[in-house]
Amino acid sequence: MTPLLKIDGVSKRFGGLMALADISFDVHEKEILGLIGPNGAGKTTIFNCIAGVYKPTSGDIVFTPGDTSIRINGFKPEKMTELGIARTFQNIRLFTSLTVLDNIRIARHCRTKANFLRSVLRTPFQKSEEKSIVEDSMRWLEFVGLASQALSDASSLSYGNQRRLEIARALATEPKLLLLDEPAAGMNPKETRILVDLIHAILDAGICVMLIEHDMKLVMSICERLVVLDHGTLIAEGGPRDIRENPRVIEAYLGRGAAGNA
Amino acid sequence: MTKGKLLLLFIGAGLLTYPLLPLSSDYVLHVMTLAMVYMILAMGLNIVPGFCGLLDLGYVGFYGIGAYTAGLLTIHYGLPFWVIVPLAALNGALWGVLLGAPTLRLTGDYFAIVTFGFSELVVLFLTNEIWLTRGPLGLPGIQPITLNLSWLNKAWYFEFYEKTPNFYIAALMVALVYFIMCRMEDSRLGRAWYAIREDPLAAASCGVNILNYKVIAFAISAGIGAVGGCFYARWSMFLSPDMFKFWESFLVLCMVVLGGLGNIKGALLGAVILVCLGEILRESLTAIGLPAETRFIAYGLIMVLIMRFKPSGFFPAVASSGRSNPLLIDLQKRLAAGAAAKEKSRDSAA
Ligand SMILES: Nc1ncnc2c1ncn2[C@@H]1O[C@H](COP(=O)(O)OP(=O)(O)OP(=O)(O)O)[C@@H](O)[C@H]1O
Ligand SMILES: [Mg+2]
Repeated sequence: MTPLLKIDGVSKRFGGLMALADISFDVHEKEILGLIGPNGAGKTTIFNCIAGVYKPTSGDIVFTPGDTSIRINGFKPEKMTELGIARTFQNIRLFTSLTVLDNIRIARHCRTKANFLRSVLRTPFQKSEEKSIVEDSMRWLEFVGLASQALSDASSLSYGNQRRLEIARALATEPKLLLLDEPAAGMNPKETRILVDLIHAILDAGICVMLIEHDMKLVMSICERLVVLDHGTLIAEGGPRDIRENPRVIEAYLGRGAAGNA
Repeated sequence: MTKGKLLLLFIGAGLLTYPLLPLSSDYVLHVMTLAMVYMILAMGLNIVPGFCGLLDLGYVGFYGIGAYTAGLLTIHYGLPFWVIVPLAALNGALWGVLLGAPTLRLTGDYFAIVTFGFSELVVLFLTNEIWLTRGPLGLPGIQPITLNLSWLNKAWYFEFYEKTPNFYIAALMVALVYFIMCRMEDSRLGRAWYAIREDPLAAASCGVNILNYKVIAFAISAGIGAVGGCFYARWSMFLSPDMFKFWESFLVLCMVVLGGLGNIKGALLGAVILVCLGEILRESLTAIGLPAETRFIAYGLIMVLIMRFKPSGFFPAVASSGRSNPLLIDLQKRLAAGAAAKEKSRDSAA
């Protein structure tokens, strides 16, 4: 079976810095893949390459949402979203002066069509579309448990809720693959537990998840497979148990020599 | 809330009946009509810096394009005003696309400089292309707005030389532009603009094609500016290139900022305040022996004071017309009902 997403020899160079060097791995249907590594390893950079923010310097990214495979490197972010790749940001990027509902309604943009003329004339098509936008948005807010705050300002939400709103916004674009960049960062244990349940619910909804996370306990408990990056290179790939015992991974995290002592 | 609305309705009705009063003065009518021209301009400009967050210093260029389009079409082809309005709007929008499509990739300050250059180019063109625009001599003798209903009744052919009918036509146009603005604001289009203003990267990740929507915003804004110019041409019946100097852009921008960037009602209020202030300053400055142009110092001072004391203007709320959307009102009721039911079940459990 062709993987949902195939990263094939991807490199990304920023001036003299090799942020990613010849990275290859696959993401399969119905899977949750963990992406870990020390600070500056290149995790966010690979998300940005997949999501269309950066164009890889070399290598291929192939996405297979249905029957056909598409080589997507160099596509614009809005094109990626349309194809079915959604993402959240490491430092939350909400539309803070808008309401919670509006944040989600904007995410419905790529699945709706009303243009200038239809909006001004309020055609029956536009009206029914607006109605379904509100309904779909409320459904996603319910999914993450924020429906009751739909009409408050996004900036008034607690930190954990802002993270969940960002996830809801990504989900509202109807993705096949969801990229979560450190969703548990700054969350308290209770919020983290809710997040874990949410991620499982997302998987059950048939959406594939790629997860960057520093909280090892969290990653090891929910990911079936992990990819470890260090200094832009892929140093290990496999199940949580293998990764935990892999000497190269321990070395990357704890420094040279630590592997021997461990 | 309802009391405030009632008061507003009362004031509005009072202003609209003013021209019919026996003691109405031509001067006051003139100022009110001028204020409405600026209302149209301010609403149009509001789209670019207010909704999309891009600084546009060349708005007056589109105003000038609209005015000269109307003036020339009237003088050479004698087209009626009602045909010219959409033509001028289209011409403005066309130039908006021509300028916007290549330059809207530029960020912040660079884009502002390009728009500024564009408005200067328009003035240069109007001044130098004498074969078309008569250059600095200006375009005199533009026919006033006419209304030809002779197909209904032989006697129904009107030429609006007086102030009163022009006042009502301006009011009609303000109402029309306001209506269009409110509908755009509360639509997929308006939301895409807000997203771009708030966070372009997040907007793109939500599937908004940033460049396209910026160009659309710029074109619509330009079109509305041209409509303002179109009315101005037929109302003042005379055009000259120096009416479209950079200062006008700055003045309209002041109006939008004063009212609150991104708020339609704010743009209306800003236009009224600055037009009235301009009249007062012109009288008082000449009275104390200063040239009338010094009023721009006062505008600059106002900008500084707003930035200091009310950085988001009089009406800071953005996306406010969405609140009266029946869908959202309905949703609010549902949420309130849900919260009440929860409360009740908690009470009964306790
Ligand atoms: N736009 C950019 N220009 C230049 N260098 C960049 C850019 N983006 C990232 N880098 C560099 O690439 C390297 C990898 O960064 P990246 O953000 O991918 O790390 P990360 O694994 O996400 O780290 P963290 O865990 O801290 O989020 C870093 O050295 C960073 O400084
Ligand atoms: Mg990162």
